[in-house]
Amino acid sequence: MKSMIFKMLVAASCLGVANSASAEITSPECIAPARPGGGFDLTCRIAQMGLKGQFEDPIQVIYMPGGIGAVAFNLFNTKRTSDSNAIVAFSSGSLLNIATGKFGKFDENDVRFVATAGADFGAVIVPVKSKYQTLSDLMDDFKTDPGKIVVGAGGSVGSQDWMKGALLLKSVGSDPRDMRYVAFDGGGEAISALLGGSIEVYMGDVGEMAPHLEAGTMRVLAVMSGERLPAPFDVFPTAIELGYDAEWTIMRGFYMGNDVPEEDFQTWATAFAESYKTDEFKKIRKEKGLMPLELHGADMDKKVKELIVKLRGIAIEAGLIEQ
Amino acid sequence: MVDRVFAGILLLVTICYGYIAFTIIKAPFQYDPLGPESWPQILCILSVISLLILMWKPDVESFDTKRPTWIKLAIVTVLLFAYAELYEPLGFIIATVIFTTFMSRLLQATWLQAAVFGVTLGVLGYLICTGLLGLNLPSGPFPKL
Amino acid sequence: MQEVLSGLSTGFGVALLPFNIMLVLIGCFAGTLIGALPGIGPINGVAILLPIAYSLGLPAESALILLAGIYYGAEYGGRISSILLNVPGDAGAVMTTLDGNPMARRGEAGRALSLSAIASFIGGTFAVILMSLFGPSLAKIAVTFSPSDYVALMVFAFASLASLVGKNAWKTFMGALIGLMLATMGIDANTGIPRYTFDVPDLLAGIDFLVVVIGLFGMAELFYLVEQQVSGKLKALPIDNSFVRMSDLAKTKWTILRCSIIGFFIGILPGTGASVASAVAYGFEKRFAGSDAGEFGKGDIRGLAAPEAANNAAAGGAMVPMLTLGIPGSGTTAILLGALLLFNVQPGPMMFMQRPEIAWGLIASMYVGNIALLVINLPMVGIFSRMLTVPQHYLTPIIAVLAFIGVYSIVSNPFDLYLIIILGIFGWILRKLDFPLAPVILGFVLGGLLEDNLRRALSISAGDWSILFNNWKSIILYVCALAVIVIPALLNRWFKVKKPTLDVK
Repeated sequence: MKSMIFKMLVAASCLGVANSASAEITSPECIAPARPGGGFDLTCRIAQMGLKGQFEDPIQVIYMPGGIGAVAFNLFNTKRTSDSNAIVAFSSGSLLNIATGKFGKFDENDVRFVATAGADFGAVIVPVKSKYQTLSDLMDDFKTDPGKIVVGAGGSVGSQDWMKGALLLKSVGSDPRDMRYVAFDGGGEAISALLGGSIEVYMGDVGEMAPHLEAGTMRVLAVMSGERLPAPFDVFPTAIELGYDAEWTIMRGFYMGNDVPEEDFQTWATAFAESYKTDEFKKIRKEKGLMPLELHGADMDKKVKELIVKLRGIAIEAGLIEQ
Repeated sequence: MVDRVFAGILLLVTICYGYIAFTIIKAPFQYDPLGPESWPQILCILSVISLLILMWKPDVESFDTKRPTWIKLAIVTVLLFAYAELYEPLGFIIATVIFTTFMSRLLQATWLQAAVFGVTLGVLGYLICTGLLGLNLPSGPFPKL
Repeated sequence: MQEVLSGLSTGFGVALLPFNIMLVLIGCFAGTLIGALPGIGPINGVAILLPIAYSLGLPAESALILLAGIYYGAEYGGRISSILLNVPGDAGAVMTTLDGNPMARRGEAGRALSLSAIASFIGGTFAVILMSLFGPSLAKIAVTFSPSDYVALMVFAFASLASLVGKNAWKTFMGALIGLMLATMGIDANTGIPRYTFDVPDLLAGIDFLVVVIGLFGMAELFYLVEQQVSGKLKALPIDNSFVRMSDLAKTKWTILRCSIIGFFIGILPGTGASVASAVAYGFEKRFAGSDAGEFGKGDIRGLAAPEAANNAAAGGAMVPMLTLGIPGSGTTAILLGALLLFNVQPGPMMFMQRPEIAWGLIASMYVGNIALLVINLPMVGIFSRMLTVPQHYLTPIIAVLAFIGVYSIVSNPFDLYLIIILGIFGWILRKLDFPLAPVILGFVLGGLLEDNLRRALSISAGDWSILFNNWKSIILYVCALAVIVIPALLNRWFKVKKPTLDVK
């Protein structure tokens, strides 16, 4: 890891950067803490294409896989805390990992959250032949005997996929630990299990339902957003309007190191704020299957930190972490 | 003899592995009866059994590697670690030129041959991989393509 | 049937446009090159080249045809470094080293490369034919595979691998256990608890499969070559002009056919792909070669043809659930699915009705791509096999440089560069002590699948173990597993009894 400092020294000396107090954003980059092709890659692509023209140079996407994003998180807490050029992609899953301490000794107060790329929302999905016609049919069973229903999702216990199920059970006063939960490796495997009849209910995301809407093989009982979503998802009722207090937003956004000079942090925040207004940004966000969620700057930082505190509370209550 | 020693070392590692499986790994709650600890526990027990058998009946007497060979192998290991250490700071081209030159010299190329080969591989490799195939390699002090 | 034919004619209408043919050729060529780099297989090849394909501003069907070419090309390319350098190009090419490299060492690299290209071609084409004929109905059966069926499938896979047992059965067994133990590192997929990560963030997601393969095979091979050369045991290889013969094809035709079928069906199942397919195919063939299996592992052409037919058939099979149901069954198809969405194409049953030119164009381009690959690969055999005549003091450093490129360009983490060196030393020691390496890798791949699916099945049944046996698919697989172990043993005994009377000389 010494090598990183060395690299920056070499880079700095070669470019002849004299002003070290507040480095200009000369070579902006977006770090996707995963391999190419996944959700973090997609988040960075939105920044890359959506922010075109905001900086002199285009944003480079750099991959930094390792430990579900923990490697990047630790790097920006130890070596690159003041790197003004780099933003790092995160999702609600990363926030949950920070909340439950999976990322090690650093927590949310060691980075600054700068802007969002967009959002997706949880969805309660059953096969079209399921006996559950509405969310209340399902919730009645969740209330009386939660262990009877086989629930599946694409993540482990304590992941955001599990959280959707846990919140649903909590909204009718059941204990998430009584759920019969099956963890799959990603949404694709979970959807196969749902169609094949291994599981009865799938806790998925709205965005990934797009290819399946017209096929008519699955039924979305409810979406877990605060309000009704834009078309074509506007036909689905929200869990809240059906009387169940279960909301799960999958936020996708970016954080920066904690020691980045305030003005550079602002430069990035403003760049995002300006881009949100452009058609280009709206188009690329829609192409990548995300819905609008436009937070930036200090407001964003504050909201995300509040969210993490809330998540930590849920995790403690659910028995995921001991206090 | 030598595989008895190796099996012994593996046995120590396996015992540590098993210790962790039997004491530390535990989920706050789980939905399957096995939990995160059972599978490593099973693996540990099976490994201990087969390692004990391997120690009981060894079949490889020695590495059959002579002293000069050992020295060269050690040098290769050092070279590889140095290559890994310098990969990011110096960038692909410089690190590769240095590593390849020393490595092919070690394998009895002349200094000239080794150096020419090193420079060719470093520069050509970088151009092909980043330019043609779009791979991400550390650029070091040079500007990115 | 009518539907398939009219679909195919639409498809070929698109795929045979000169511009699209050119794209398939470019894709296949780039894919072969990138696949030949150790460690970079189809998944990473497609992911790396996707942004480039997108930025070219091609129409949707052309861009997808280009990507499909890359996908198939990378699957083909994986075998090249397996055969020439004993370093698997990707996960699906591990088994190819077992017989492919010994052939190259005895001066038959050209024969190995050309035979494996033909086996790949047949496997790949076979898969596309099955896909265009029965795709949708096969996909529907594949999704009914439940976690308990996967457990049975893994038991079957381990049973067919019993044939890998070398001189010392306990060493084979221990090798598999080492792989199984390595696979338990990282966050537990079920409960989300970190296991054996020692608070190192780089280990939270476990050791990457790619790192294990490059370390245990690639770097270990490097140490082995240095040792051989320094101690003067390494012989210079003669210039190699060998090529596949008609008699080779006659001898392997049933092997190729059987393994294409095995590979295709394992490929369709979400979650299992080319690596599992080639391992099962190899094990199965060796097992059923019976008394003349002695040459397997020493350069038997059947041992080379089997995994190559299977992994290319599996690559085709993996496309089935993605295209027909919109479910990505593997990492690579997940990326291709993303690519389709990028072009506003929704995969699934509706795609065949709404955008037939894309759905069928893609399928037709797979036919074209397979032929293109054969045409590209056969003439290159001579060039590739010349590589082995490169003096050792150049070839050995190239292996290290290629291994570093493979790991770094994908993982971009210097930590993993250290890891491959350490695994390389470990692999070299294992090799010196006669531990076979293939079981380590297979334990690593199959172990995670077995543990995860076993625990999934038990979560579904709330702890009732009878779920493992209450399904006809599982039962059939268990019977097959038993048969794979018992029948060859019986056959062997039967032949041994008979032989003396037959061999009257």
